Amino acid sequence: MTTPIISLENVTKNYALGSTVVTAVSGVSFVIREGEFTAIAGPSGSGKTALRNLIGCIDTASEGVVSVRGHNTAALSDRRLTRLRLDTIGFIFQNFNLINVLTVVQNVEFPLLLAGGLSSSERQERVNTLLAKVGLAQFAKHRPNELSGGQRQRVAIARALVTRPKLVLADEPTANLDSATGTQIIDLMHELNRNEKTTFLFSTHDHRIMDRAERLIQVADGRIASDEQVQR
Amino acid sequence: MIAQLRLLLLVAFRSLWAHRVKSGIVGSILFFGTLLLVAGTSLLDSVSASMERSITGSLTGQIQVYDKNARDDLALFGGMSMGSTDLGEMPEFAKVEKELTAIEGVKAVVPMGVVNAMVMSGNELDLMLDRLRTAHRSGDREGLAQTKAQILGVAANIKEELGYRQAITSDKAKAAEEAAALEDVLSEAFWARLDTDPDGLLAFLDTRLAPLATDGRMYYLRLAGTDLGQFMEVFDRARIVEGTAIPQGKRGVLISHRTYEKLLKNKVAREFDAIKKARDEEGRLIATDNLLADQVARNARQYQRLLFQLDPGPARELTTRLQRYLGSQEADLGKLLQSFLALDDQSFDERYDWFYKEIGPHIRLHDLTVGDVITLRGFTQSGYLKSVNVRVYGTYEFTGLEKADIGTAINLTDLVTFRELYGKMTDAQRAELADIRTSVGVKEVSRESAEDALFGGGAAEAPVTEAVATGFDEFAGVEIARYADGPVLDERTYNAEEMRSGLALNAAVVLDDPTTMPAVKTLIEGQADKLGIQAVDWVSAAGMLGQLMVVVRIVLYVAVSIIFLVALVIINNTMVMATMDRIGEIGTMRAIGAQRSFVMGMFLLETLALGIVAGGAGAAAGVGLIEYLNRVGLPATGADIMVLIFSGPRLYPTWGLSNVGLGLGIIVLVSLIATFYPALLAARVSPRVALSGKE
Ligand SMILES: Nc1ncnc2c1ncn2[C@@H]1O[C@H](COP(=O)(O)OP(=O)(O)O)[C@@H](O)[C@H]1O
Ligand SMILES: [Mg+2]
Repeated sequence: MTTPIISLENVTKNYALGSTVVTAVSGVSFVIREGEFTAIAGPSGSGKTALRNLIGCIDTASEGVVSVRGHNTAALSDRRLTRLRLDTIGFIFQNFNLINVLTVVQNVEFPLLLAGGLSSSERQERVNTLLAKVGLAQFAKHRPNELSGGQRQRVAIARALVTRPKLVLADEPTANLDSATGTQIIDLMHELNRNEKTTFLFSTHDHRIMDRAERLIQVADGRIASDEQVQR
Repeated sequence: MIAQLRLLLLVAFRSLWAHRVKSGIVGSILFFGTLLLVAGTSLLDSVSASMERSITGSLTGQIQVYDKNARDDLALFGGMSMGSTDLGEMPEFAKVEKELTAIEGVKAVVPMGVVNAMVMSGNELDLMLDRLRTAHRSGDREGLAQTKAQILGVAANIKEELGYRQAITSDKAKAAEEAAALEDVLSEAFWARLDTDPDGLLAFLDTRLAPLATDGRMYYLRLAGTDLGQFMEVFDRARIVEGTAIPQGKRGVLISHRTYEKLLKNKVAREFDAIKKARDEEGRLIATDNLLADQVARNARQYQRLLFQLDPGPARELTTRLQRYLGSQEADLGKLLQSFLALDDQSFDERYDWFYKEIGPHIRLHDLTVGDVITLRGFTQSGYLKSVNVRVYGTYEFTGLEKADIGTAINLTDLVTFRELYGKMTDAQRAELADIRTSVGVKEVSRESAEDALFGGGAAEAPVTEAVATGFDEFAGVEIARYADGPVLDERTYNAEEMRSGLALNAAVVLDDPTTMPAVKTLIEGQADKLGIQAVDWVSAAGMLGQLMVVVRIVLYVAVSIIFLVALVIINNTMVMATMDRIGEIGTMRAIGAQRSFVMGMFLLETLALGIVAGGAGAAAGVGLIEYLNRVGLPATGADIMVLIFSGPRLYPTWGLSNVGLGLGIIVLVSLIATFYPALLAARVSPRVALSGKE
């Protein structure tokens, strides 16, 4: 049995919305281990993004404990949380969220520059290898706005992987793509999961996408409805 | 780290380009701000430097020393109070000079002392009586008639004036006698005696009319006594305009050329000069400018100022010439002069030249003329009026200060004359004077009250009314003999040792290298107690002129502060808006692992880069502007004060690295301060926004 990267123990997240309190996540517990390819599924407003923020060290829990590589995130400063995100987690966004003023290579190189520690040639090699893997070698010098949605999401995937994170978090990565492209993106992620042993946790409300997961966590109203391994 | 910095720079420049409009606004502010700063400080430094050269090269030197017990501050170019100032004394200048010249870097120590003196101009009536005598002797009937007309004119003026005087006099008998004499002169019967009893008539005019005439105009001169030979050598800004320098060892006066032209000049000529200046330099027209038209009309009414000064010969000649020039049959010279002076824009330039060519040479253009021997009267320290007769050798000006009233209110004389007018008396002299006074039985006139009476609360240059001056002299109450042929020149000479060993009130310390001033001043201050002196720098020694520089500097600082504030506000607002635009991008960076400090750095670096680029371009433009002005010169248009500030008709500004450094430094500082708040806002953006719906 592999070591857990993430563990949630009875986690609740409340948001103050004016005078009322909205409970986005309620008493959730589960563990994510290395090498998993997990989907969190549920209708809109069920708490997927809220969960993602907790796991991604962007938010901290109101109750319960979120541990990322053994660190209780509620106990960490903004600085430490940021570092933990940089070192441990790769992000893929629904809206791709590339930096428009930078080229494809520069976007992918960005987290490496934030992290430091690699020589220019090492960085170059990693970026180029990844761009080749996501099939965008020939678009290296392009700007994001010169690419299609699918291409942009591939750049985002390369960027998420470039620091070799323990976990890649993808919040509805296919929501803004047509279904064919969406399927391709999920296939690419799955391929990387198998070949590179990268751990993926992605959320979606699209059945065709969630069907490709190896583990499916269903959420509804902030609670876990089911959590099962998918048989293939 | 270096790679991260490269990334920051890359993002900065790319973002600047991506947000071109914002960068354009902020960049323009930074560009023009730096341009203004670099050009402005360069101009100011150039103005300071040229004013410094003007002031230190004119009168003050880099440092001035004077009595440490002085009650007032030294203000060589005039201070706030125009009354007498107490600067104390340096009784033995030679001693001070010896110690100060021994100090490394001191080139020369020039002794000085400022004293106020009165001068009476010549008497018009005396000249007319001479004319009458000459015309009578040579049998020039026409000349006699002309001079008679002049004398009648003066007599009429006196009669008018006497009316006022009689009202306040207590000696009614004497007043009646004077009035009777005047009535006599003004009657036709009196002038009939020209044929029957010319000697009697002349005697009457000499003895009865002449004493009634006012003593001419009185002028109040501020005189700086100094070692004139050394002065002209050390102060390169001083130059003789008319006449000559005062020969070594001789006594005399050099009148400030502006005083000569503005105060001592014949009223009509002065008016001509003023109208010319208004037309040529200020672009005003007689036809459209009411004030100028009034001035022209006033000048025409002053024709007597010319008429009374003309000798019969030139008067006749001028009548013919004016008739021809004006195409007139008029025989009366007065009327001809009036119509000559009633000029307009078309005729002005021609008549101006005609005036100086045809009339100027025949009149006394200046009340005190170069070459005259004049009587300087000053109140001595002991409270008595002292008279010294000296020659006006010439006029001088300080290059760069020639148009400034404040810089020209001082006239030059030798040290010996200064000392006499200043009049520090020895005990023996004091005792002698006391004897004389008891023997003639006059009350002592205290210095203060006499001075008040004389200077009437202290108008600087204005000629004071005539009557007061009579009757005060060293031997007050003793009638002063009227000079038959003008004052008798004091021909005594003096030697160098006599000059330098005595008293001076202050001294200019001129340095080899002006930049060593603070150091040398400290060295002098080390000797100050021993010598009983204090040292001040040229800025404070210059008095109001020094204050002017301070004012100019304050104006620039205020301008800089305004640029500073405006830039701060606009840049801040623009950057806050830019931050709002970029929240998504910032959130993304934060989510994928950028620290707050990275975001702040990114924003600050962006403005810094913009500041350096736009500021650099602005600085280059500022330097270019100054270089251009340096070639063509910046004209001192408008008021004379500009000429003073520019130290000449044109300023040729220069720039230095310090101007560029300061300009860029200020602008970079401003942009960083202005960006600090927006950058802080940006750093506070939560990574959560990257995950929400919008991009
Ligand atoms: N920052 C927030 N402030 C207030 N309410 C929030 C916030 N984030 C999420 N919620 C609420 O929590 C619930 C779960 O939202 P979310 O996690 O975005 O759902 P999903 O991603 O599954 O669509 C929703 O009711 C939403 O309105
Ligand atoms: Mg969501």
